[in-house]
Amino acid sequence: MNIFSEIYGTYFRIAAKLLENEVTDEKTVRETVQREGFRDSVLFLPQKLIPGSEDWGLFSRGTEGELRRITKNAPVKVLTKLQKMWLKAKLSDPRIRLFMDDETIAGLNGKLADVSPLYTPSHFRVTDRYADSDDYLNERYISNFRNALKAVKRRSIMYIEFISGHGNRVSGKFVLLKMEYSPKNDKFRAYCYLLRNDKIKSSGLINIGRITHIVDTGRIFRTPVSLDDYFSSRKCSSPAVIRVTTSRNGVERFMLEFASYEKHTVRDLETGEYTVELWYDRYDETELLIRLLSFGPVIEIMGPPHLREQAKQRIFRQAELLDSGEG
Amino acid sequence: MAGFSELIKNFDKTRDYVRDFFIYGCKVRSDFDRKSIRTYGDEKRRVESWIGDYMRYDDSVRGRSVSISVDSGHIPENPLYNAYYSRSFTDNDIRLHFLIMDVLQDGESRTLKDITDILNNEYAQFFDEQTVRNKLKEYVEEGIVLSEKQGKTLYYSLSADRADEYLSEFRGLDDALKFFSETNDLGIIGNSILKMCGLENDLFFIKHNYIIHTLEDILLPEILDGINEKRFISFRTFSAKKVRDSSQPGSENQVIPMKVLISVQTGRRYLAAFIPAVNRFSAFRLDYMKTVKKGDICEDYDEVKAKFDRNISRCFGVSFGMRHDTGAVTTMKITFYVDEENEPYVLERLEREKRCCTLEKTGDHLYTLTADVFDPNEIMHWAKTFIGRIVRIEGGADSVRERFRSDIARMKRMYGGDEDEHIQ
Repeated sequence: MNIFSEIYGTYFRIAAKLLENEVTDEKTVRETVQREGFRDSVLFLPQKLIPGSEDWGLFSRGTEGELRRITKNAPVKVLTKLQKMWLKAKLSDPRIRLFMDDETIAGLNGKLADVSPLYTPSHFRVTDRYADSDDYLNERYISNFRNALKAVKRRSIMYIEFISGHGNRVSGKFVLLKMEYSPKNDKFRAYCYLLRNDKIKSSGLINIGRITHIVDTGRIFRTPVSLDDYFSSRKCSSPAVIRVTTSRNGVERFMLEFASYEKHTVRDLETGEYTVELWYDRYDETELLIRLLSFGPVIEIMGPPHLREQAKQRIFRQAELLDSGEG
Repeated sequence: MAGFSELIKNFDKTRDYVRDFFIYGCKVRSDFDRKSIRTYGDEKRRVESWIGDYMRYDDSVRGRSVSISVDSGHIPENPLYNAYYSRSFTDNDIRLHFLIMDVLQDGESRTLKDITDILNNEYAQFFDEQTVRNKLKEYVEEGIVLSEKQGKTLYYSLSADRADEYLSEFRGLDDALKFFSETNDLGIIGNSILKMCGLENDLFFIKHNYIIHTLEDILLPEILDGINEKRFISFRTFSAKKVRDSSQPGSENQVIPMKVLISVQTGRRYLAAFIPAVNRFSAFRLDYMKTVKKGDICEDYDEVKAKFDRNISRCFGVSFGMRHDTGAVTTMKITFYVDEENEPYVLERLEREKRCCTLEKTGDHLYTLTADVFDPNEIMHWAKTFIGRIVRIEGGADSVRERFRSDIARMKRMYGGDEDEHIQ
């Protein structure tokens, strides 16, 4: 029982898809491989599916040149024990209630009655999650979450009231583009555009936990929306440039902690130091700054100037506190 | 490239390469000194094939360097899952897979002989009974095929649990799969269900997303089994340097597994375990571990677990103590300056991030965090996010306080611009 098994593999999946139809053709095989396979699969896989000297024997050539499957039925999608154990484990996760009502959860639990969960929440411990996570058991929260999720799917125009991060009441018409989950905050947010007269006014993020009222206006936002444009509107104008030294295993620690960022890295051959350019959401600049400061003198913020200046101010203030004799 | 295959047999080898491309970036072929040029070329080509859009190339005097650059907060699917979908197999494996499923699809139970005869007579596919038996046995273990003994004969039938039927029967399961398939507790398995049904996650992005974790998921089922069955487990560990040299055997460890610890801020996951040989708890990084094997049942498991539960409450992160390095550890107190009226968010941060510590107001604009933890070193990485506000540090260990002072002095020189600070 291992997830690294060919039965889950891309080649098996493509073969299963092609075997759904009694008859297929070479063009469909190549197109399916191109669409569903790895980048180079089209160089290796078609000859395994199309009858010839290398094929697996899953299809035979018909009188008209068509490809006929050797099986009698379309393949069935049987869940493995591992997949069922994983599903069972998810039923103990409070976030499952965001998606399924109690009756459905009970039904799935019944279906998996003979299956042991792959794990229970007690097998894992998150060491550094923030304490103010969203309340997934709160009925109001669940309802708001479901409304927001439905709006993302339909691209509905929603009237939303919420409390901003600064404690202000905000309301307006929004179109929700995507949901975001942060394991660090254990919170859901929605990427959105604020609308004025049905036109995009600004981009933003709404914490689902801060929504006080959400209602569908009954209208759909039909203007094509690009997520790339959304992210570009929030991206820093120039990347943070960080010098990472080799002391205290700095390179490995830094690279791993900032692995989730889009970045460009250059290594100095003489010193072994790395210079890393990090692109970030400019609304998350303070979060980036304090995370960088936590590396102490192992790294140095080289730019942009305003980020370096903020770091400098905090460091100098700290030095003063220590020099004042109290620290 | 003659003999190149997109598929792999050895996950560990690929795991090493992907990790290097992903974490370090800017490596050129000569940095991968452990392997032949051809192996490097093959691994690179495979990774390119899986993760094409995220590969980045830079030319330097040393050659072309390869790295993976992913803004992983803005991707619908972890591209590294592809490593799991690349297991190699034989022609017989794939043929038998679809044929056995087809023969058993009518729901009837059949004997090995029946199945082999049908394959030979109705499908003109000639397999000997041993080959079919082996595949059936494998599929019984996977839960795809069920076996039942009637008298002395084993009967085989296909499991009735179908992914597509589950999705239509249980409303909301599709969206749940889209979400959980990208979370870091074995999301790959959820992704495999989505893929079976031709679905993909089009709803969720994950912030602070350490997609590299999925490469360690290969170890988790065995570890979780070990915990469930209260067994010893053994595995090999590699130091940060040697993890990239797969010719090194690493060190053998035998432990009693307790929990998987996840740091959502540093991108690391650990196995917390008791090491009988040295009579202490410790945390092993999953990305430095290989080859986990279950051992004997541990008779004292519950007793050890009770002790672990007491101890873990005094871990700020994952460390169970560094008394050998830091000497005596006493309760640590860190006092922060907070202007509650104008900066309420700072106080909120302290409250939500303090973990097992306590926080109390100790003066005008002063808040003191008390930490009774095994390893005060661990607090300091976090405490440094409050640089500019730390008024006082008391207790803990002398070395920890000294290091903080010297770090701030060095940073002041570094950012002061009037002195060229070189870190050693």
